[in-house]
Amino acid sequence: MQRVGIVGYNQVKLYSDANYGRYEMIFEAVRGAIDSAGLKKKDITTVISCTNDYYEGRTISNCFTVEVGGGYMADESKVEMDGAHAVLYGLMRILSGNHKLAVIWGGSMASCFPYHSARLYETDPTWERPVAYVNDISSAGFQMRAYLQKYGVNNEDIAKIAVKNRKNASKNPLALEEAKNPNITIKDVLESGIYADPVTELMVAQPCDGVAALLLAPEKQALKITDNPVWITGVGYSQDTYYLGDRDLSGSKSMEVASKMAFNAAGIKDPKSEINVAELFEAYAHEEIIFSEAIGFAEKGKGAELNTEIDGEIPINPSGGAIGGNPPCGTGLIRIIEAAKQLRGEANGYQVKNARKAIASGQIGMCAQNNILFVLEGGN
Amino acid sequence: MTEKIVVANKGLVRAEFAFWVGQYMDKFFDALENKKLIGNKCPKCNDVFVPPRKICGKCNITIPLDQNWIDLPETGIIKNYTITPYKINDRASRKVKKSQIIGMIQIDGSNTCIIYRLLDIDPEDIKIGMKVKVEWEEKTNGDPSDIKGFTKI
Repeated sequence: MQRVGIVGYNQVKLYSDANYGRYEMIFEAVRGAIDSAGLKKKDITTVISCTNDYYEGRTISNCFTVEVGGGYMADESKVEMDGAHAVLYGLMRILSGNHKLAVIWGGSMASCFPYHSARLYETDPTWERPVAYVNDISSAGFQMRAYLQKYGVNNEDIAKIAVKNRKNASKNPLALEEAKNPNITIKDVLESGIYADPVTELMVAQPCDGVAALLLAPEKQALKITDNPVWITGVGYSQDTYYLGDRDLSGSKSMEVASKMAFNAAGIKDPKSEINVAELFEAYAHEEIIFSEAIGFAEKGKGAELNTEIDGEIPINPSGGAIGGNPPCGTGLIRIIEAAKQLRGEANGYQVKNARKAIASGQIGMCAQNNILFVLEGGN
Repeated sequence: MTEKIVVANKGLVRAEFAFWVGQYMDKFFDALENKKLIGNKCPKCNDVFVPPRKICGKCNITIPLDQNWIDLPETGIIKNYTITPYKINDRASRKVKKSQIIGMIQIDGSNTCIIYRLLDIDPEDIKIGMKVKVEWEEKTNGDPSDIKGFTKI
């Protein structure tokens, strides 16, 4: 694959109820990314945004965000999935050979819409939605129980992930304040109230307000823009069947397929020894373990035994992950930005030592129906 | 700093959607109205689907409308469950006092699970693999709410 480089990025701080108008937040993220790379508006040749019309409360929502997203009189398009999927679209635009600089931005303001009700619109309107027993909350409970039941893992092992990510988030200045807690214990997580048993409130990546932006350029331009680019060397993308009742929720087949695809492209044979840091979009603590097994960091059922701390054998979510703040449509994009920060040595306060290769994932759907994984490499 | 002004749109425009359920679900809902469960079987992989569907996604083939229908019993097993205090509808999500127990039930003779409430079962008594049966609403309308939930056998 022709090398495509990440040449700039920016993320606004995550808030549970931000004191921003919608467009100010997008402008701050995108303008900041362009400024971080020392570029100008006229350098942008394509803009890909990621929003969701249900979350915006208006149709074709990108028609209102053209100017603030840098898309005035530029080639502009939208992805209605996770921000990480917008990066794939942006990557394809660059690989087409027609573009020299892509702006990818994604995010939303969860404080402005009823998140769980909006997500109910993902369900089948002719079968599940009228009774509403299938929703994003109940599906989280099914997924965690399927995993615990199959492998005999304890709730404590899952709570440990929430503890790690909330401690990591407290080192990340851009993370959601409510998600940070440097002194949190496993007991705090287990006693935080039932969300959807066995999932407790503090195991959940709380939807919040936030926007992030990323710049991609083909190799030649990337080397002109920065002497510290991060290369996308592999990407994989897969989705499972829709109905929860048809799926094996104890694992993630789509993440297995996506990661194989990405590792093949990047020439990675043994992910655990070759990857130095991972930023995974875990909508719930248990998903981080399920994904780490699907990716091949651990055998099935053994993910909780990995040391995934910042100085551990395979650091996962040193930034705090999605548990450190989950702005719908932005979270997967933030994972890619956080992985790029690690490779550029810019993760102040939570930097993984000698990070040369990283992975970052995005997801969408109930029980992560759809997964996307990027392999990134630093240096030039 | 001035007070934060929020403009709330309480549905000045309401877009009411009407979904045609399709010929396969039409048959299924007719069966529900008569307090019966039916499914259909993929001619290639032999998986039995509840609710029935026109296409087997894995095999990527059509299941003919006039073939492969299966009458199913109203019994099944609990394959998974969750207990949640959150109740969600298309207007709001809210926390309720009495948590609902929601189960994934595999109807005997089928290969998929359907998701409904577990009724009159204490959380401590629930076991994966436990046998349950349908509790029908007294008056049925031919829609998903005809199944009230599942109870212990």
